[in-house]
Amino acid sequence: MRALAKVGALTALAVAITACGGEDDSLSIYTHNDEDEMQGFVDAAEDATGLEIEFLRMSSGEALSRVQAEAPDVGADMMWGMTHSGALELESDGLLDSYHSEEWEDIDPEFLSEDGTWYGWSYWFNIIGVNTDLLDELDLDTPQTWDDLLDEQYEGEIIMPDPRESGTAYLVIAALMQIMGEDEAWEYLEALDANVGEYDQSGSAPAEKMARGEYAVAITWDQAVFDRIDEGFPVEYVLPEEGVGFDLDVAFIFENADNPEGAQELIDWLGTEEGMEVAATERALVTREDIEGTIDFEPNFIDYDALQAAEDNDRIIEEWIERFGN
Amino acid sequence: MNRPLAVNPDHAIADPDVSTSDGSGPDRGWRQRIQSWRRDPLSAGIALLLAVLVVMFILVPVAAIFVASVRAEEGITLELYRTFLESEYYRASARNSLILGLASTLVTIGFAIPLALYTTRTRGPLTAGFRMVSLLPLVAPPFIFALSLITIGGRRGLLSQALGAVGIEGSIFGLHGIVIAQALGFFPVAYMLIEGALRSIDPALEHASRDCGASQLTTLRRVTIPAARSGIFKAFLIVFVLVLADFSNPVIIGGGQPTLASDAYLLIVGRQNLSMAAVVGVVLIVPSIAVFLLQRRILGDATGEASLGGGDPLPLNPGIRRICLTLSWIIIGAIAVMFAFVVAGAFVRTLGVNNTFTLDHFATSRGLGYIRNSLLVAVLAALVASVLGVIQGFVLARKDVPVKGFQEFSSLFGLAVPGTVIGIGYVLVFNGAPFYLTGTITILVLNMAFRNVGVSMSAAISKLHQVDTAYEEASADLGAGPIRTFWRVAVPLLLPAFMSGFVYTFMTTMVTISSVVFLVSPGTNLAAVYILNLANTAAIGEASAMSFLLICSVLAILGALRWLERRSNVGV
Repeated sequence: MRALAKVGALTALAVAITACGGEDDSLSIYTHNDEDEMQGFVDAAEDATGLEIEFLRMSSGEALSRVQAEAPDVGADMMWGMTHSGALELESDGLLDSYHSEEWEDIDPEFLSEDGTWYGWSYWFNIIGVNTDLLDELDLDTPQTWDDLLDEQYEGEIIMPDPRESGTAYLVIAALMQIMGEDEAWEYLEALDANVGEYDQSGSAPAEKMARGEYAVAITWDQAVFDRIDEGFPVEYVLPEEGVGFDLDVAFIFENADNPEGAQELIDWLGTEEGMEVAATERALVTREDIEGTIDFEPNFIDYDALQAAEDNDRIIEEWIERFGN
Repeated sequence: MNRPLAVNPDHAIADPDVSTSDGSGPDRGWRQRIQSWRRDPLSAGIALLLAVLVVMFILVPVAAIFVASVRAEEGITLELYRTFLESEYYRASARNSLILGLASTLVTIGFAIPLALYTTRTRGPLTAGFRMVSLLPLVAPPFIFALSLITIGGRRGLLSQALGAVGIEGSIFGLHGIVIAQALGFFPVAYMLIEGALRSIDPALEHASRDCGASQLTTLRRVTIPAARSGIFKAFLIVFVLVLADFSNPVIIGGGQPTLASDAYLLIVGRQNLSMAAVVGVVLIVPSIAVFLLQRRILGDATGEASLGGGDPLPLNPGIRRICLTLSWIIIGAIAVMFAFVVAGAFVRTLGVNNTFTLDHFATSRGLGYIRNSLLVAVLAALVASVLGVIQGFVLARKDVPVKGFQEFSSLFGLAVPGTVIGIGYVLVFNGAPFYLTGTITILVLNMAFRNVGVSMSAAISKLHQVDTAYEEASADLGAGPIRTFWRVAVPLLLPAFMSGFVYTFMTTMVTISSVVFLVSPGTNLAAVYILNLANTAAIGEASAMSFLLICSVLAILGALRWLERRSNVGV
């Protein structure tokens, strides 16, 4: 009987743990937002809407390929946080549901798709972060332009993300192509490669590693650097003079979502002033006009063509792997 | 538990193919076999059901990998294998994986043997302390030491700066870093197996060797180590497979050095290129299977070794003791330091940069939910694995059932397949009609349960080999039916096997990455995968805090089990 009691106790333990969770009518979300900010966003959304929300964080490249592989039965109801070019690619695959939200009516239509397939809720852009202590110690100049990064003084001191996984990295590459033209951009990347010490899996990790002093210069995205500055690291940001690519961060609902009502409710809330205020605590710029994000300056955006970037995505990444992945 | 009643030393070296067929000669004809099934349809039914489950959840996913690797639009093709072989990059990956497999495993075992020699031959608080610290990595995600190593030996880590000040340049990133991280992370597996093997050696053998005039070194070399060889070899196999399957350490600390496991992982997460990932998986599985088959061929199923009693093992002489102690201190010290860094990293802003105390890293609204998911999956998987494993072990060891050797082989095979491979196999098989298991807790539970079912199975078989069938026969003679006999006689005997299978599966599942990373979804995310995600975005503080919580919850459950076990033994 002892044996029976023991097996019984273990079963009871299992049942008890099961009983504590596992609701089925929850809203499930894929996101490329970093864990930290996404937890804050989702907590606020749950409070405001009463929805039960589960999310899984992946890098943009990972999310894109996962969704394409799972189609037509995508394992989430929606995405909140994805690159614009990624959304456009999924839209052309016919994987996005269309929905017209009244809450978004007074937001500039350039941030929305005409047929309601995707909603741009914030921007993010490329930025260069430098560790000032390390620049002093190694006697390096603060780079001011993309071109400066090719200088041999930075050999091994630059960290940037890997476009196979990171949307941040793809934005850098696609923007450089649009600034310089494709052939010149490849030449530039070849030259830059000589100075890059590490290609990281995630778009935010370079900022973190630069802040901790592992590298002097990080090519990354805005909030990753601003957060490190706020935390008191000896970090400054640089907006390269040639301009930077920016991306509209978007939310969208998948075709065949299990919980379309929940997803629509979330999209509605995201468009409200309250939703945008929450987004604005973690993002440089949000798409509702009267709400200020985390920055008080005008970034020098290039005229970035996300549609072009979406079309070129596969080809450019293949070529990148060919040149640098091996 | 009493000492085994009747130990048949033959079991220790029995041929694997007949090791499970006690009481029924190996060459019985078809007809007799069918007759015996008819006589005992219950056992045959259970055996067949278990065989179907094992095929379904171990062999089919692995087979799917092979199929996916050669499938073309029309017919089959070896094109992708050609791509693999012709690519300088993949050749480098394969080379790195092999180097790591051998180097990490040998380093691990090279430290595990002296520590096991020391702890089996010396009593005292130091031994107890060593044993406790050595097991710590079992309850932490396998890549956690890579994070500590970066804090210490990264480009501007604490040690690197100190060394840099005296003119020594170097960094932890690269193959050597992976070897250190893997050796530390997988150390306890090797140590436990080798310690168990050393413990089960009959001390009389060593005494005899000494009495014949052999020095201790000779005794160790000629008697002790050979007698423990099956444990050592098993440790080699399991660590080798763990190293091959591990992509987290190479990705975090490899400095861009590719390995097969990290290629397969990146091919899937980054490119969703399942076919190429399948090719890499097949290449990854070949050495694992080779080692597995080699082990079975050379050693057979030698888990049934048992000591005949007869005194304590020989204490170590001062010279050898000093060597063992030094090596033990090195590995134990390294584990302790790495662990201290994890804990410290959880409670300060940025370890090594800004060491102010903070609890901010624990401020996560989701982390506890992920730990709950992990607990749920781990307890369920452990239950399934240990119940099925023990039943399977019982049926295989005691009953005359069909496809015995095949069943035993397949269950153990689950242990030998790298997690990365079986994870990809599950994606291929269960991600659509007719199963639709993607995104459920069930797929995680099944995956972890069937990967570990062999542990309780072999524990049960070896237990039963130590115990005479007389008990069960007596029970039957007294009129108990087979089910009653199983419950009243076999189950109490098999409880230790059940518990060891449960604990092993539970711990493995709590911290595993290699297969589940492909199977989690919103709502079923696991703590270890979450920590890997944090580590990937270089949020080391949060990753350390989560690891700390994960470790605490594993230890709490293990403590509770221990308490339960002790309580239920009161009055025996």
